[in-house]
Amino acid sequence: MSTNRRIQAFKGLFVASLKMYFRNRTAMFFSLFFPIVFISVFGLIFKNNGSSFKIDVVNLSHTQMATQFEQTLKDKVSAFKIKDTSESQAADDLNKGNADLTVIISANFGDTTVKLVNGKYVPSIQPATITAHYNAEKPGNGQAAAQILQEITASMNDQITGTPKVVSVDASGVKTKNLTYIDFLLPGMIGLSIMQIGIFSVAFGFVSYKTTGMLRRLQATPMHPGMFLGAQGLTRLIMAVLQTILLAGIGVLFFGFHLAPEAWLAFLVLALLGSAVFQEIGFAIAGWAKNEDQAQPVAQLIQFPMMFLSGTFFPRDTFPAVLQFITGFLPLTYLADALRHVANDNASLWAVRGDLLGLAVWGVIAGLIAVKVFSWE
Amino acid sequence: MADAILTVKNLRKTYDDGFEAVKGVSFSVKKGEVFGILGPNGAGKTTTLEMIEGLRTITSGTVELDGLDVQKQPYKVKERIGIQLQSSAFFPNLKLIELLRLFNDLYAQNSDPMALLKEVDLEDKAGAKAKELSGGQRQRFSIATTLVNKPVAIFLDEPTTGLDPQARRNLWDLVQQIQKKGTTVILTTHYMEEAQVLCDRCAIMDEGKIIALDTPNALIKQLLGRGFKPHTQVQAATLEDVFIDLTGKELRD
Repeated sequence: MSTNRRIQAFKGLFVASLKMYFRNRTAMFFSLFFPIVFISVFGLIFKNNGSSFKIDVVNLSHTQMATQFEQTLKDKVSAFKIKDTSESQAADDLNKGNADLTVIISANFGDTTVKLVNGKYVPSIQPATITAHYNAEKPGNGQAAAQILQEITASMNDQITGTPKVVSVDASGVKTKNLTYIDFLLPGMIGLSIMQIGIFSVAFGFVSYKTTGMLRRLQATPMHPGMFLGAQGLTRLIMAVLQTILLAGIGVLFFGFHLAPEAWLAFLVLALLGSAVFQEIGFAIAGWAKNEDQAQPVAQLIQFPMMFLSGTFFPRDTFPAVLQFITGFLPLTYLADALRHVANDNASLWAVRGDLLGLAVWGVIAGLIAVKVFSWE
Repeated sequence: MADAILTVKNLRKTYDDGFEAVKGVSFSVKKGEVFGILGPNGAGKTTTLEMIEGLRTITSGTVELDGLDVQKQPYKVKERIGIQLQSSAFFPNLKLIELLRLFNDLYAQNSDPMALLKEVDLEDKAGAKAKELSGGQRQRFSIATTLVNKPVAIFLDEPTTGLDPQARRNLWDLVQQIQKKGTTVILTTHYMEEAQVLCDRCAIMDEGKIIALDTPNALIKQLLGRGFKPHTQVQAATLEDVFIDLTGKELRD
C-alpha cells in the first residue's frame, strides 16, 4: 500500500473512531460528565476549607472597644465567618469541628482606669488578653486563622500606643500557601479518569468489536491492523487530554485548584503519557479476552484496587509501611503522584522523572503482554 | 481452466486442536459466473471461503485469485475482492453513508456512497445507522460495502439466511444484477432453490470434501440417472410459491 493510501485509510478510521466516541452516550457519560459531577460534588463539600474560617467569638466584655474589636474581625477579613456565642457552645463547636477557631475576649478587655501622668489625669487602657483556641488535631485552618488574628491585634496595639499604622490583613496571601483537599483530590481524580478511559473503555470497546464481528469485517479489507489500533488509540489520547483540561479547568475556575499557567503543559504531557500506558493495559486485556465476560473481571481486578490504593482519595502515608511500599509501584500511583507534584509544587517533568520512569516500565510490560496475547477473534 | 478467476488446489485446513475442517478441496471459478458452495452445517464451507479470502491461514494447498497467490499477497488480493461475512456488524453510531465513506478510505477508493446505496435500494436510509435496518436491508447494505472497491469477485457467506421469502427473492435480484455487471459471485447457501435460481455451477461439500461439482441441472440429471424417485409426487408449485402469491413480492422492510 502506498503512503497516500495509508494516509487515506488512517484518516478514515480516525474520523470514524472520533465520531463513534463522541456519539456514544455511555462513553461520554463516563469519561466527561461523571468525573465533572464527581469533582463538583467534592469541590463543593470541601470548598470552604481553604477559603474561609469559621470563628466562634465569645465576648465577655461589654466595653465599646470589645465591640469595636469584634467588628474589626468581621469587617477586615472577608474570609472570617464570625459567630457570636457562649463559652460552652464555642467549646462544643470546636470539638465537633464546626469551628476552626474560638476567640474569647476577656471580661476586662477595654476597661479603662484613670492615671496620673505628668500631673494630669488621663484615661488609660488596662492590658487585657484575647484567648484563641484551635483544634490541635486539625491545625491547618485554625493556625492560619490564629495567625491573622494575631496580626489584627498587633496592629490594634500599635494604634492604641499611638504609633500610626493602618490595619491590613491579606487573607488571600494566607490562602495561596494553604493547599486544600481539592489540590490533593483533583490530580488523583484526573489520574483515575485517565485510567478509566484507558483500561475500561478500551477493554470493553475493543472486545465488543470482536464479539460483534466488526473487527473481522475490517480484516476483510486491505486495511493494516495497526492502523485500526492507531486510530482508536489516538482518539482516546485526545479524549484523555480533553478530559484533563476540562476537569483541571473546572477545578481552577470554581474550586480553588492550584495549577499555575506554566504548569499546564507538563500536566497535559503527563495525562497523555498516562493515557498511553493505561490504553496498553486495556489492549492487553481486550486482545486476550474473547468476550465481555472474560474482559470484565480482569479489568475490574486491575482497576478496583488502584482506585483505593493509589492515593487518589486518601494520601498513601496513612497506609501501613508494607502497603505503602507495594502501592508505590502501581501505575496509577506514579501518574497521580506526578500530576499532584506538578500541580501542587509547580514541579517540572524532570522533577517527576522517577514517576515517569515507573509509568514507562509499566508501558513496556503492558505492551509486551498485549503483543503476546493479542488475537483478533 | 483458461478463463478462471479463482483456482483452488488441494486446499486443507487443520485447526490447532487437530480438527480437519477442510480435507483437500480443488475447484476453479470462471470469470463472471455465480458459483455456489452448498453443504450442511459444519461441512467446511465457511472455512474454505475464509482461506480463499485470506482471512484464515492455509494449512496446505494453493489459492490463486485473479492471478495472485493469496498466501503470498493477501493484502493485494483483498484490494480486488469484496467480502460479506456470515455475521458482520458495523461500527456502532455511524450512519450508512459514513460507513461507506470509511470503506472507501480503507480501500483508498472514491466511489460515490449514494450511488452504492442506490444500487442496493437503500438511498432513503443514508442517514440511518446499521442497527436500525431490517435483516434484508442489512444484508443489502453489507453487499454494498463489498462493492466499494469495484471488485473482480465478491464472496457472500449465507447471504439469505434468516430472511423472509420476499427479502430473499429481492437479494437474488441484487445478486443477478451484480453478475450482469461482470462481477464474479461466490456464495454459500443452505437453500437449494436459491442455488438453483442463482448458481451457474455449484459444489456440494460434506465433511471437508467436495462430493459433487456441476451445473444445477446436470447435478439433478445425474441423480435421476441413478434411478432416483422422489418420495412424494412433485407438484408444479411449492408452498413458497403459494406464500409469495398470497403476500406479494413487495418488500416488507
